[in-house]
Amino acid sequence: MKAAADAVSPSVDDARPEGSLKAAAWLAWFSLREMARRRRLVALVLMNLVPVLVVAAIRIWFPGSGITPHMVLSALTHEVFMPFLIPIVAMSVGVPAIGEQVEDGTIVFTWTRPVRRRAIYLGRLLAAQIVSALVLSLSLVLCFLIMLSAGPQVLTWEFLKLYLQSFAIIGLGAFAYAALFAALGTHFRKPVVPAIVFWFGWENLVSNIPARVQELSLRFHLQNLVARPESAPADLPGLLSALLTTAFHRDPVPKAQSVAVLVAVTLAATVLGMWLLRRKEIAR
Amino acid sequence: MRGAGVDSSQARITADRVGKWFGEVIAVNNCTLAVGTGVVGLLGANGAGKSTLFKMLAGLIEPSHGAVRVFGRRLRQDVGWYRRVGFCPESDALPDWMTGREFLTLMLRLMGFDKAETNRRVEFWLERFELTDAAGRRLGGYSKGMRQKVKLAQAMAHDPDVIFLDEPLNGMDPVSRKQSIDLVRELGQQGRTILVSSHILPEVESMTSEIILIDRGRVLAEGSVAEIRDKIPEHPTTVALVSSSPRALAGFLIGREHVVGVQVDQENRVVVSTDHAVAFYRALPGWLLGNGLVVDEIVTLDDSLEAVFQYLTER
Repeated sequence: MKAAADAVSPSVDDARPEGSLKAAAWLAWFSLREMARRRRLVALVLMNLVPVLVVAAIRIWFPGSGITPHMVLSALTHEVFMPFLIPIVAMSVGVPAIGEQVEDGTIVFTWTRPVRRRAIYLGRLLAAQIVSALVLSLSLVLCFLIMLSAGPQVLTWEFLKLYLQSFAIIGLGAFAYAALFAALGTHFRKPVVPAIVFWFGWENLVSNIPARVQELSLRFHLQNLVARPESAPADLPGLLSALLTTAFHRDPVPKAQSVAVLVAVTLAATVLGMWLLRRKEIAR
Repeated sequence: MRGAGVDSSQARITADRVGKWFGEVIAVNNCTLAVGTGVVGLLGANGAGKSTLFKMLAGLIEPSHGAVRVFGRRLRQDVGWYRRVGFCPESDALPDWMTGREFLTLMLRLMGFDKAETNRRVEFWLERFELTDAAGRRLGGYSKGMRQKVKLAQAMAHDPDVIFLDEPLNGMDPVSRKQSIDLVRELGQQGRTILVSSHILPEVESMTSEIILIDRGRVLAEGSVAEIRDKIPEHPTTVALVSSSPRALAGFLIGREHVVGVQVDQENRVVVSTDHAVAFYRALPGWLLGNGLVVDEIVTLDDSLEAVFQYLTER
């Protein structure tokens, strides 16, 4: 006991909470390491290899068929990342980010520190958002490398611009979806069903309803930020052609509006989640 | 002021008519208590409501009515006061992916310690709980006893003044149990407040005689075991007197003040039932000296924690 008793706590008489940003940064750092060690991350990375395989297949089997890297990237971002990969990754990482700790009881260890609950929430959420964005970005980087293997001629300004745009938009989408799913995970004891209903039901349904109703979905705003895939050449096989064409009509809105909506949803979901966590009680 | 049932102005932990219900189930009902320094046991059978009360006291759940305070503060609102509070939960859940060292490091970093101080404390407490060799292993691979030690270490490593220990000895081997009991007593003697929740009476008895008894969501009694025992008039205290002339002693004691029954047992001891143990003990020397009687040994048979608990809960 002597060593502990001799030690002078730097703040034993200081009843102020730890700085929220500092505490959130610590929690984010440890949470990142936790999430990186989870087995489900391997499954997510494998799932994110699907676009890479598509790009590799096009590169190997259709090298001179007129499908440009720009066309492929645009189609993948629009029709694979936005409707499927971003929500799935964000759901897998975001839903358990906070809710799982509340449910299994391990959150008591952070709740009994001089740290505001909003900092705890922010730290965990930030880690989930970063992990989601990194997993998705990895896929995009691998796609880029395969495309680049065709030669330096693919590096047009248009292509590079789309590629950087895709990065930013995927990041924006990952942050927005993760914030929403984390709030769902904080509120519901069994959050997977409501999360799937949101993604598969709401997002799928609403984003495909014409007129302004579709603006109520995140997917619409994400897809609004990327130029729609160019029409595929007429001689392409059916499956590839289908992948490269857009099935539903969309009425575009200004891009700034979509960015604003996505940022607003991220912020609103984060504030909602912090409020939910503040009211939360430990069950176990 | 030491122990349970102290003046609330001097108490470190207070609960004022606190209640908690989950739907239609009343887990805690109108509990009022005040805890000063030292070790205090929160006792109750499984389902008595002690875990709910414990979580309310530690600020983990909000009371449905009433108020709980630690250092006069509501921890749920004034989270900065957690610097002075340690909490060891009953649940076995730990972040299994972390190593023991990483876990303690994070816990201390969140308390605001710098890197050097954190490292020093982590190593000290790992050694204190004999976990140094296992410090690099993931918590998921720890035995139940080792997990319990890590939980205790995180509750104590920042030198808190108030420590909540919920069933702290679960799963520990006898040696670790003894070491932990000694540590709790040592911290109590240093003037810290340690509230220990348990349903195992000998465990609590080995740490303290100051208790709060809870049953069916209500606080039945608080204070020292002896004080509480004296407040149970319907169950007279039973005292065995060892004497060389038991029959003469028994005959003398019949009808004396505060003596409600006398008999000589098979070991030739005079077994006296008294409705006021303190008054009886005070009067006994005078009676013996005045009448030339000798008593070699006095044994109180039912002022143990277990007896008190049984009487109060009628089990």
